[in-house]
Amino acid sequence: MNRFRRYRGIRIWLFISICLTFASLAIILGYIFIHGINELSIQFLLGTPQGFPLGIEGGIWPAIMGSLGFTSIACLFGSILAIPTAIWLVFYNKNLCITSLCHFFIYSMAGVPSIILGLFGYAFFVVTLKLGVSLLSGGLILGVMIFPFIEVRVEKSFREFPLQLVQASLALGVTRTWTLFHLVFPASLGDIASAIALGGSFAMGATAPILFTGAVLFAPVPRSLFSPAMALPNHLYILVGQGISLSKAYGTALVLIIILLALNSVPIFIRMHRKEG
Amino acid sequence: MKNSSYLFVEEDKRGRFFVIICKGVTLLSVSLLFFMFLFIAKESLIFFQNTPLRAFLTGQRWNPLATPPAFGLAPMIAATVYVSVLATAIAFPIGVGVATFLSVLAGNKLPNICLPLIDLMAGIPSVVYGFAGLLIIVKFFETHFSFSSGESILAGGILLSVMILPYIISTCHESATKILRRYKHVSTALGVSRWHMIRYLLFPSMSKALFSALILSFSRAMGETMAVMMVIGNSPIFPKLLHKAQTIPGLIALEMGGAHVGSPHYRALFAAGFVLMFVLFVFNTLFFIIEKSLEGDA
Repeated sequence: MNRFRRYRGIRIWLFISICLTFASLAIILGYIFIHGINELSIQFLLGTPQGFPLGIEGGIWPAIMGSLGFTSIACLFGSILAIPTAIWLVFYNKNLCITSLCHFFIYSMAGVPSIILGLFGYAFFVVTLKLGVSLLSGGLILGVMIFPFIEVRVEKSFREFPLQLVQASLALGVTRTWTLFHLVFPASLGDIASAIALGGSFAMGATAPILFTGAVLFAPVPRSLFSPAMALPNHLYILVGQGISLSKAYGTALVLIIILLALNSVPIFIRMHRKEG
Repeated sequence: MKNSSYLFVEEDKRGRFFVIICKGVTLLSVSLLFFMFLFIAKESLIFFQNTPLRAFLTGQRWNPLATPPAFGLAPMIAATVYVSVLATAIAFPIGVGVATFLSVLAGNKLPNICLPLIDLMAGIPSVVYGFAGLLIIVKFFETHFSFSSGESILAGGILLSVMILPYIISTCHESATKILRRYKHVSTALGVSRWHMIRYLLFPSMSKALFSALILSFSRAMGETMAVMMVIGNSPIFPKLLHKAQTIPGLIALEMGGAHVGSPHYRALFAAGFVLMFVLFVFNTLFFIIEKSLEGDA
């Protein structure tokens, strides 16, 4: 009996912490779901913000499209940076010091806070490159933000590829590039897609980087890369921060969460598909 | 491929082109960090020519639009540290508890359900956290206690602690699983109870991982922008637990929109960003070094 009493502290502590963690997740999601579900309607999803102050009525269609625009540019740019980097680090670079150094830089980039990315994006893309406050500037800076995220996952997938297969291929006198395209890529495609989807969900929820590089209070559905756009998280921030409309804010938050859940479930589907196949 | 003694077959022209492209992109993406430092340092250095670094860091007043403008970052630095310390202090024991539970007691099935939920928690955007925090925590303070305002360091700390939990849990869980894989069977075979194992085997051997989780979560807390900004009240005064305050990221996010490019105000915000970036860079370096040494141990 003694030993049960002795470790009761640890037991209670573990129990409380697991309850607190999942309770807070449930409360946050539940709160938004319960209040937001009544707001969802075709009108809300497909309408444009209306009324005065703007956003008190109407819908969020431009914000949804803007967010999708930002996210697609970010995914594209992020993977253009991340995938070749991962390939080079795993398959072509033989110097371990360089690999270590590159990892250090990539980790450091992952640790740069989003608001600093916003500052950098403003100084670099908007002011220096004169891209203006636009879909492109915002998308590019989000791409920079998700680059480490995608790179780490893609690199992990490459490193988990069985070494024997590669060695066998190389022993047969096949070049590394051919091995890469015909052996490694087909096997890692699912992981790469998952990484990009997760990176996309990370980009879609980010507010601070596009606060002054791409997102604006109101804009129509963007027609060109150089026009500013609305974004769901920024729209939510404005609705709440300026106290415009709480009910619309619940709706916006719910739509954002639903889109993110959809993006987050992509890896699960890919895994299930692979198990079947 | 990890071994450099392979004899590789010579690539054809297209293969060589591909390798060069990959190398170029790697160089570009790695140099992005330098670009970041460069651009933020460039603006800050001009600012520091007019305002000495020490005055900037210790100044008590922030009033960029007054004549002469006052640029004192001390209240914001104090608030950033305060709210991050508070959040880490709340989240750390809980996070370690969850990680221990999941790795020791939960069996095989439960972690497979719980870990994706933890990932989901990390995936909720900070603006949604801020929104929820404003409506749940701040409102609770305002209705149940007679605070002057619910927006406070305490509200920010509680909200932030929920946000950094996933980082602590995943870092600790990873390390705990590694340790258990090595010792669990020995420990069970010796007839040691799980509680004893947690206390005398798991925690002592996890100390490095605990430290790295602490650093990671603290640095993430310091850089958090939107959620903290939405619940902390944003007034540049010296922070007290139950009063409003303003963090450095919040300051930048709020005032950047109104600062004219090239004005002292604009540069002061870059300088604030530079201070934050530098501190976090130091923390990240520390984290990286510990992680590397953990890899070496395993």
